[in-house]
Amino acid sequence: MMGLPLAFTEPLLLIGLVSLPVLWWLLRVMPPRPRRIEFPPTRLLFDIAPKEETPSRTPWWLTALRLLAAALVIFAAAGPIWNPQTGIAGSKAPLLIMFDDGWSAAANWDTRIKAADELIANADNDRRAIALVPLSEPNRDITLMPAGAARVALRQITPKAYSVDRVETLPAIERFLKATGDCEIAWLSDGVDTGRGEEFVQGLGKTIGDRSLTVFEGGTSAPLALVAAENAAAKMTVKVLRTDSGITAGTVRALDQKGSPIGEARYAFGPQDKDTEAAFDLPVELRNDITRLEIAGERSAGAVQLLDKRWRRRAIGIVSGATSETAQPLLAPTFYLTRALAPFADVRLADKGSPQQGITQFLDQKLPMIILADVGTVAPEIRDRLNAWVDQGGVLVRFAGPRLAQAEDDLVPVKLRKGGRTLGGSLTWEKPQHLANFTADAPFAGVPVPKDVTVSRQVLAEPNAALAAKSWASLEDGTPLVTGEHRGKGLVSLFHVSADMRWSDLPMSGTFVEMLRRIVDMSGYTSKPGAGVAGEANAETVAPLHILDGFGAFGPPPATAKPVSSDYRDRATPDHPPGFYGPADGPLAVNTLAAADRIAPLNTASLRARHATYTNAEPRDLRGWLLSSALILFLIDAMIVALLGGGLAALIRRRAAPAVLAIGLALAATFSPSPSRADAVSDDFALKAVSQTRLAYVVTGNADVDSIVKAGMAGLTLFLAQRTALEAGDPVGVDPARDELAFFPLIYWPIVPGAPKPPRDAINKIDAYMKQGGTVIFDTRDAVEAPPGENGASQTPAMQTLREILSSLDVPELEPVPREHVLTKTFYLLRDFPGRFSTGQTWVETLPREDDDESAQRPARGGDGVSPIIITSNDLAGAWAIRPDGQPMLPLTPGEPRQREFAFRAGVNIVMYTLTGNYKADQVHAPALIERLGQ
Amino acid sequence: MAADNGPIARETVAIRRADGESRTLAASLPRLVLEARRIAANVIHGLHGRRRAGSGESFWQYRRFVSGEPSQNVDWRRSARDDHLYVREQEWEAAHTVWIWPDRSPSMAFASRQARESKLERSLIVAFALAELLVSGGERVGIPGLMPPTASRNVIDKMAQAMLHDDAQRLSLPPSFVPSSLAEIVVLGDFWSPIAEIRTMLAGLSASGAHGTLVQIVDPAEETFPYSGRIEFVEPEGFGAITAGRAESWTADYTTRLALHRDQIRDETNRLDWLFTTHSTDRSAAELLLFLHAGMTASKLGIRSSTIKVGPAA
Repeated sequence: MMGLPLAFTEPLLLIGLVSLPVLWWLLRVMPPRPRRIEFPPTRLLFDIAPKEETPSRTPWWLTALRLLAAALVIFAAAGPIWNPQTGIAGSKAPLLIMFDDGWSAAANWDTRIKAADELIANADNDRRAIALVPLSEPNRDITLMPAGAARVALRQITPKAYSVDRVETLPAIERFLKATGDCEIAWLSDGVDTGRGEEFVQGLGKTIGDRSLTVFEGGTSAPLALVAAENAAAKMTVKVLRTDSGITAGTVRALDQKGSPIGEARYAFGPQDKDTEAAFDLPVELRNDITRLEIAGERSAGAVQLLDKRWRRRAIGIVSGATSETAQPLLAPTFYLTRALAPFADVRLADKGSPQQGITQFLDQKLPMIILADVGTVAPEIRDRLNAWVDQGGVLVRFAGPRLAQAEDDLVPVKLRKGGRTLGGSLTWEKPQHLANFTADAPFAGVPVPKDVTVSRQVLAEPNAALAAKSWASLEDGTPLVTGEHRGKGLVSLFHVSADMRWSDLPMSGTFVEMLRRIVDMSGYTSKPGAGVAGEANAETVAPLHILDGFGAFGPPPATAKPVSSDYRDRATPDHPPGFYGPADGPLAVNTLAAADRIAPLNTASLRARHATYTNAEPRDLRGWLLSSALILFLIDAMIVALLGGGLAALIRRRAAPAVLAIGLALAATFSPSPSRADAVSDDFALKAVSQTRLAYVVTGNADVDSIVKAGMAGLTLFLAQRTALEAGDPVGVDPARDELAFFPLIYWPIVPGAPKPPRDAINKIDAYMKQGGTVIFDTRDAVEAPPGENGASQTPAMQTLREILSSLDVPELEPVPREHVLTKTFYLLRDFPGRFSTGQTWVETLPREDDDESAQRPARGGDGVSPIIITSNDLAGAWAIRPDGQPMLPLTPGEPRQREFAFRAGVNIVMYTLTGNYKADQVHAPALIERLGQ
Repeated sequence: MAADNGPIARETVAIRRADGESRTLAASLPRLVLEARRIAANVIHGLHGRRRAGSGESFWQYRRFVSGEPSQNVDWRRSARDDHLYVREQEWEAAHTVWIWPDRSPSMAFASRQARESKLERSLIVAFALAELLVSGGERVGIPGLMPPTASRNVIDKMAQAMLHDDAQRLSLPPSFVPSSLAEIVVLGDFWSPIAEIRTMLAGLSASGAHGTLVQIVDPAEETFPYSGRIEFVEPEGFGAITAGRAESWTADYTTRLALHRDQIRDETNRLDWLFTTHSTDRSAAELLLFLHAGMTASKLGIRSSTIKVGPAA
């Protein structure tokens, strides 16, 4: 109604508003009624001339107040509803629901499902048949279903991870419409045009003819997408796309292969921008570990960009002309090169026999940079390929050596003299030369010049005019040491010394590493879309490994996913859903969107259709609000009348002092509790906490969770008293922000999904508590809700909340409880730590690595102290929770026979662990100690 | 009927309560013995001997038995001492008549929150207690127009009965009657009637030379006028109403007017040699009773010249 999501159940009652002017008139003419008091000496009053006449009319603002209250009552009677259900108004014709289910729909999937649910519910009320058409499945037959079946079918639809081509579904819709005849159509659009959107809209308009169509769009935030991740020279960049100007800024997160975050980058859109860029300014070593970029808070496959080796370190192939390097590695040029390049590049050695084969192999692999160490003659066809490769952007670095000195080809930046030059030899009178300064405008500018590097032999360039321009580094006598030349998009560079120690000790210096790094950074030849050298017929295919679902979470590959060729660079398709393909150690990434893809808003204006908006909110009945505000207005009115009538004045005059005093005291008591009282409270708490050992749990504020956790801690306390020597007191609920935590050996913290992050000082207290030897069990209690997949457990809402909390804590490195961890042996011998669920993993602080055999043989290992943090998702307290009559409170999943027993045992072990520390680990030594004592 | 029922029922309740309270009040006071205000030869007040033989309780003289007298008059103990017959004569004691008028008009039912009880109740208590004291002192007590003077021991019951069975209109001021010149008149009321009516009343009562006391019983609210805001003041006896827009601004005028009214009454009483006092119901009833007691026992000449006020200084 009028752009507002407001509707009335009884709109006719609004006519009552017409009566307001009458009411106004009545209120204006009626003066406030005086108080009537019987007063015997009234006859004396007759003689007193009245001093002033009070206004007999009500002040206008009082009238307005009353009118407003009356209007509110009328509005309330009309039954206003905020966010009314947007229904399809009711013919009896069947309802066809078209459902966008590409990646772009995933971001607001729940809203869409809810809208569809409402449509189905409305249709069900009118006894209409429903046909549900997910637009991603052009081959599916469209059939009419009753509402119940439609609901089930709706639940089975999941968003697809790839861009859906809506046009392909049009024929099926047409067939259906022809068969059905009269029909009403609702299109739950995601509002994103990933290509051919215009065509679909026109086709749809033609197909449906004059049938009624409702398009749902808007009302939700438009999806974002990530494309074109690029590991550039200094930073990793990725493009963020949007369709409308709703979202202006956000964060892109980079994750490594294990799913742990590496870095975050902000992005911000200009007012009219459709795409912007996020840049990760990280060291190249870290950038190389990135396998996944995702927009924080955006749940769709399109907001995920998977990176494989093509985006990682620049692979560098090293081809050596020498043959004996494997026998004496320290003499081999590849040794120094590998060591120097390893920190920032992926070094590949030619493993095939001859240098020629090695070069061919690297060219086939389309490496961006190839180093030829003392490779002499190169076959002409390979030389042509190398030249072409350099033109395309390849970086060729050559090192001199005996073979190069004898050979002659054009793959060097300068023309060389035949033979080398030896300095400081027995037959020469020249001394070995030091390096001169690096040329200022050359790539090595700024690299410190080592004073201890000497060159005893080199190849010499034919002097010509261009030599100086091509020299990147030179010796003190002016002869070039490194020359380089740009060719095409690529680069050819020559070190005039060998890559081993025979000609100079340059390869041993740190400067060598730095020089190579400069050259590698210049190799702009990263992955390039389009057919490469490997795109030829012999391209191998790789099978799917992990596949993204529509929400951008990894899962096992579906049956429909087909292998892709190993050079697949296109956007994902239904046959090749996005994800990782190929071997686990070097998978191939297929992304939802290709680098050049852009998304645009879908323009449905040309359709002759009703446009509806998704409503995210529940319909809300406003009657209560209106009536209570009317009541408040009436109360205000009453107070004003009392004030006008002097009643309050009398009251104040009579009771002023005590009343003001009482109110003041009450306020003081409420807002500033006296310190002595607070001290007393905290003293009570401390006394209670230290008088007995007590288990503690964090009060979350969620009454359900708190009662279960309380019962659970009580159950564990009881179990401990029955089975162990620990007879703990009643468990204590603590508020980390308020209470002193140091009294408790163990604090159980149930994570409520979406709970706000604790305040700063609470976090600090928790941190201090963990640092000082306390243990906190974080229990996300959602092992069953975790989506499948290897990092599914980290995707649950509670886990996200936990991450929020932990993000500001100094959490040590964690690992799943290893078999030999002392936690598994403190009281019972346990294999795992089940709670209400048994599938969740339990994490503790990583034990220090002990590599020696003796300690590896030990049956139990404990760290120096107690793990300050234990993370589980098994809902331990839920399994421990007992009712007052001793019966368990909650059922278990999967409910194996002794699961509850084991849950309690896990609890006992955890408590014993926190109380005794690594005592059980030390017990291993007990026999030896006793033996020694006996002697 | 119903309209009539309210005040009547209220009065009945007030009478019942005043009955009990006045007895305790009266018991707490010493026997009230009225002094003769004027000693006249032939006028003996109350229990005060008239210095001649007559009916009384105290011995006056023995005299010779006169033949023809009833033989039961002979005092045989005295006669046995000699040969003559003697008759024991008592001193003649005549009772003083006190008329008490408690105002029972509707205006007396007023009681503000500061007051302990309504003016009606207070006036009845004082009236009953005074009657009890006077009767036990040998005086005769009557209510003008309602109860003839009586010296009966259960005077309170009689007064209460008379009031309960009174179906006449409740007047603010006593009806005009002619008391004997030596009678005492005590008028308990609020005297909110116009000063002209009060003058007429006083003139009528004092025409025969009788003296008396006017006691104005007021509610504290009537003294201090603690009202504020928009209020319609209604005269309970149906003499009209007036609306005050801001009643708090009327306070000063009211107190001035009240003082004027009292001065007018006091001038009149002073002229007629009557007593006038005011009594507020937030004070103890015993105060008023003590004052009346003192006023009746002490020499009135001394008191009358000075104003005695009971209750808060208004």
